[in-house]
Amino acid sequence: MVNGQARELDVEVRKTLADALREDLALTGTHLGCEHGVCGACTVLVDGRPTRSCLMLAVQAHGHDIDTVESLGTPDHLHPLQQAFWEHHGLQCGFCTPGILMSALWFLRERPHPSREEIRELLSGHLCRCTGYLQIIEAIEAASGATGGRRQ
Amino acid sequence: MKPPVFDYYDPLTLEEALGVLDQYGDDAKVLAGGQSLMPLLNMRLARPGALVDLNKVSSLNYITVENGTVRVGAMARQRDVEVDPAVARSLPLLVEALHFVGHVQIRLRGTIGGSLAHADPAGELPALLVCLDGEVVAAGHHTAPRTIPARDLFVTYLTTSLRPAEILTEVRFPMPPPGTGSAFEELSRRHGDYALVGVAATVRLASDGSINDARIAFTGCGPIPTRAADAERYLEGGRPVDGLWERAADLAARDLEPDSDLHASGAYRKRVAAVLAARALRKAAARAAPPDRGRQQ
Amino acid sequence: MTGTGIGAAVPRREDARLLTGRARYGGDIPLSGMVAAAFIRSPHPHARIGNIRADSAGQVFTASHLDGVGPIAPRWDGQGFFPTAQRPLAADKVRYVGEPVAVVVARSRYEAEDLVERIHVSYEPLPPVSDAQQALRPQAPRVHEDNVLYRWSAAHGDPDAAAREADVLLRIAIGSSRCTASPLEGRAVTAWHDGRTLCVWTGTQMPFLIRSALAHCLGLSENTVQVIVPDTGGGFGQKMHLYPEEIVVAWLALRLGIPVQWIEDRRENLVASTQAREEQVELECAARRDGIVLGLRAHITADVGAYHVFPTTAALEPLGVAQILPGPYAVRNYAYDILAVATNKAPTGAYRGVGMTVGVLAMERAMDMLAERCGLDPVEIRRRNLVPDDAVPYRSASGLVYDGGAFQEALDRVCALADYPRLRDIQRVAQAGEKRVGVGVACYVEYTGLGSATFRRRGMVDIPGHEAAAIKVDPGATVRVYLSFPSQGQGHETTMAQLVAEVLRISLDRIVVERVDTMSGPHGSGTFASRTSVAGAGAVLRAAAYIRERATAIAGALLEASPKDVEWADDRLFVRGAPLRAVTFEDVAQAAYRIPQGSGITPGLEAVEYFDPPAPTFSSGAHLAVVEVDPRTGFTRVAGYFVAEDCGRILNPLIVRGQLLGGIAQGIGEALLEHSAYDDQAQPLATTFMDYLLPLAADIPPEVRTIHLEHPSDRPGGFRGMGEGGAIAAPAAIANAVANAIGVQVTRLPLRPEDILSLLERGA
Repeated sequence: MVNGQARELDVEVRKTLADALREDLALTGTHLGCEHGVCGACTVLVDGRPTRSCLMLAVQAHGHDIDTVESLGTPDHLHPLQQAFWEHHGLQCGFCTPGILMSALWFLRERPHPSREEIRELLSGHLCRCTGYLQIIEAIEAASGATGGRRQ
Repeated sequence: MKPPVFDYYDPLTLEEALGVLDQYGDDAKVLAGGQSLMPLLNMRLARPGALVDLNKVSSLNYITVENGTVRVGAMARQRDVEVDPAVARSLPLLVEALHFVGHVQIRLRGTIGGSLAHADPAGELPALLVCLDGEVVAAGHHTAPRTIPARDLFVTYLTTSLRPAEILTEVRFPMPPPGTGSAFEELSRRHGDYALVGVAATVRLASDGSINDARIAFTGCGPIPTRAADAERYLEGGRPVDGLWERAADLAARDLEPDSDLHASGAYRKRVAAVLAARALRKAAARAAPPDRGRQQ
Repeated sequence: MTGTGIGAAVPRREDARLLTGRARYGGDIPLSGMVAAAFIRSPHPHARIGNIRADSAGQVFTASHLDGVGPIAPRWDGQGFFPTAQRPLAADKVRYVGEPVAVVVARSRYEAEDLVERIHVSYEPLPPVSDAQQALRPQAPRVHEDNVLYRWSAAHGDPDAAAREADVLLRIAIGSSRCTASPLEGRAVTAWHDGRTLCVWTGTQMPFLIRSALAHCLGLSENTVQVIVPDTGGGFGQKMHLYPEEIVVAWLALRLGIPVQWIEDRRENLVASTQAREEQVELECAARRDGIVLGLRAHITADVGAYHVFPTTAALEPLGVAQILPGPYAVRNYAYDILAVATNKAPTGAYRGVGMTVGVLAMERAMDMLAERCGLDPVEIRRRNLVPDDAVPYRSASGLVYDGGAFQEALDRVCALADYPRLRDIQRVAQAGEKRVGVGVACYVEYTGLGSATFRRRGMVDIPGHEAAAIKVDPGATVRVYLSFPSQGQGHETTMAQLVAEVLRISLDRIVVERVDTMSGPHGSGTFASRTSVAGAGAVLRAAAYIRERATAIAGALLEASPKDVEWADDRLFVRGAPLRAVTFEDVAQAAYRIPQGSGITPGLEAVEYFDPPAPTFSSGAHLAVVEVDPRTGFTRVAGYFVAEDCGRILNPLIVRGQLLGGIAQGIGEALLEHSAYDDQAQPLATTFMDYLLPLAADIPPEVRTIHLEHPSDRPGGFRGMGEGGAIAAPAAIANAVANAIGVQVTRLPLRPEDILSLLERGA
């Protein structure tokens, strides 16, 4: 399942999940920043848990639920998390953003009222070159207030 | 950076997996969490003829705490172990060490067995296993499973004594006796990076407050994790007075010959190993509770 | 208009697509029949190329196929310049590890990499030059006929006399190591010839220069080449150069007749994209015993790698160091000489802060060391030397005219913000305990918004210097804005729309800033050197003003009133004093294209305006960093950071803050973490993110407090350029803080824990 829909793909076994999402399903919101598992730009949810899709083979996704940034919201209906990033300027070039959104989505479900320290810790699994992180932390903090711990 | 061509198998049982490995010999690699292997594949630094994916072998994913041992199936995710309440109660050192393993996003997929089999010289779990004198179980096709004690498991950089067609199936962390204090200290350039130097330490106090035994294991100080046997002997029977931990730590670091790289020289690592060992010992002792007192300090 | 004009904290328009995965970056462009290119790159830093063969079917393209394709050869109009020419695929020699030697294409990048492995290139290795000192020795291997690619010197006043008169002669040597911009998105180029036009999608900061350069290299006329800038994941100066791969991919599209795409991977980006900094500054500071600096003499050596980059050349960085070095201080005597030295490493190019970062590093270290020599507090010595606020405009010793700058005020305010006396108390208390606390200050002034006059004076022939904006109002009253300068994350779709909304008093929703495309947009230089809010804004404001004038005239005709009596507010135009006599903006747009009979209105509502700033506009500020050092391990964290910045009038506070914070993070990286290291055989060592350490959230202090002194400039809008300030001053502030914490001189960045520990021991 990808973003709630059953999908069937025919791929080479060596193709990564990230490339299959981007090329075979045209879900280009998931980005490749390093392809060695450090930057986190490729993060998607696999069975609800943030996973670096550049470190997973597409064939490994068989039977699992994959959620990408495209499942979060649309320009007309932003998810509260996206709304918070928008209001707090939590992105500049936007390349690292989808990965961070997916990580944050999982995180706020686990920890509805995180401390700043806990947010910083979560973000340490992601590289951002533009923002210097503070406005991202502020956005996630604001989102935690907004979602109020509701399961999304 | 795209992986080269390889054959792929996703067996449902351990036996199937072993069968494939047996066929390919050392031309096959086991895929567990992928957090270490996939980067190597993407960079084409690893070029196996076949990948044997263990993610569907559900029999390898379990966490049990019984008879003084935390037994973890090789495919247990690091994060699941990190947040397991029974593990937190029984073996806080394991939880503490896991906090240093990469980032939560890595630990959600990375496995305990995979990390040990990968044997990174700056990895946290190998040092932990060596500190606790743990062991692993290795299975082979048509052969009886064998246990490999930690001291025999790590051979050199990224190399264990597992045979090419063997799979590590279970990891056993012995729980130190009740009242033992433990600590894991690490320095890395940034949060979550591989250790420049890491130390796992345990300290058990006797009822008179003297040191019953102490263990010190280093990571990042050579090709494999090492126990500081001389320092451990030195501490046995000693009294926790000013300077004791520092002297023991200096002794522990004395014979280390860490490598140099872009991030730090061997000489620096050796120095810092002593600093961290002293800190870890002090912390472990503070967390220890001698038998007659029966509560954590 | 308060809500969405100048100064409004408008959340960004572009975020809707960036947040929802609907952006289209360079790697997201799908064209039917597209093939993926992959490069064969030199594993040697210096070698002659022998033969190249493929041991499989499938074609490999080499320099011989690209015979006649122009090299990258930036020009310089002035003395001291030794030109270089880089063939898009290396011809007889390779000069750095990673230099492209050959290229293959395949259906996918996977298959292309398979093909790469089947290409065999034979090399005859030559002795490499791995550092500038080696390159300067008489017997050194020749990277080029002359290993010095640029040399220049100048003197102002009488620094020799100043040295003779001085009570104190301070000599320092400070070096910054090689680093790299490392945007999260690497380079990506897609090219396709559609029968009429060669279309090139590339995440570049200078689309018009790339268009001209590609046309020139490929022997095409410029109007047959179109450069389209997709969403770009960061640039920071790295994407303002013409790269060999861009030329090759464009050539392949012409040769093969199908779309060709190349997406740079991270290893390529860290090794073969332009790198930055790597300079050594020897500075002699002549001063009186009361701390007043009488004169400066600087010797600047830059290790610029294997080739000049286009368009800025290897001169850019060291010349920038030299010109900004006296900084905001009233120094009258200054002499400098510069050497830009070739080595067998990746070419260095622009990176946020260009030249200014190292100039500030040198001067600010000198100030702290001088303070120590003279027994003065570091803030006090700066107060004594800063150009007084009422002395501005001020002509610096290097000939720059600071058109603005309240340097004393900035220093005072950052100290107040940080509660400087209290920090010194905290420091004293900390000395007794485990950690060492250090406080470091950096005062700086920065040139922004450069125009053609500056580029010509420097000798930079290939950079035009102007920017432009076109505004087209369509009959449906949508206001389309076309810029000459693309965004890599700076939010032009919002900030430039805010300018238009300010002038036209219409809602932001009506204004669309279009993607930058050389076919539809007006010609300009691009986005770099903090020029958007000066040069770019100047063009946008002029274009908006013209639209306002035209639309006012149309409204006047419709309302039968004199244009002088027409006012604008809230999407309406009305007669002053008679607000019911009004037309909507839509009415005006309609009327421009469906002329009412007898109205006298002429058709169309469009503007194209250019702006060429007459001289640099200066921003400035004072940064204050607080660090904590563990003296047992050398581990250091930035515990606090404070900024007083003057970037003139603020266009969008959210965005300005973001730029400042982002620059500071890069500065922290440069000071403590980042190093594009090479070994003594010129082999790159930092080839993955495991070795090239970008700062994480955990490396940034929990809080960065900033205030703005908004002293307006004389430019349209009153803006000063901004964006680089954080990257300019943070390395110096942190270097000073570390030196202050450990009581030892700091002479090189980055400062690894081991380096700090060694310094501590040496000082003990």
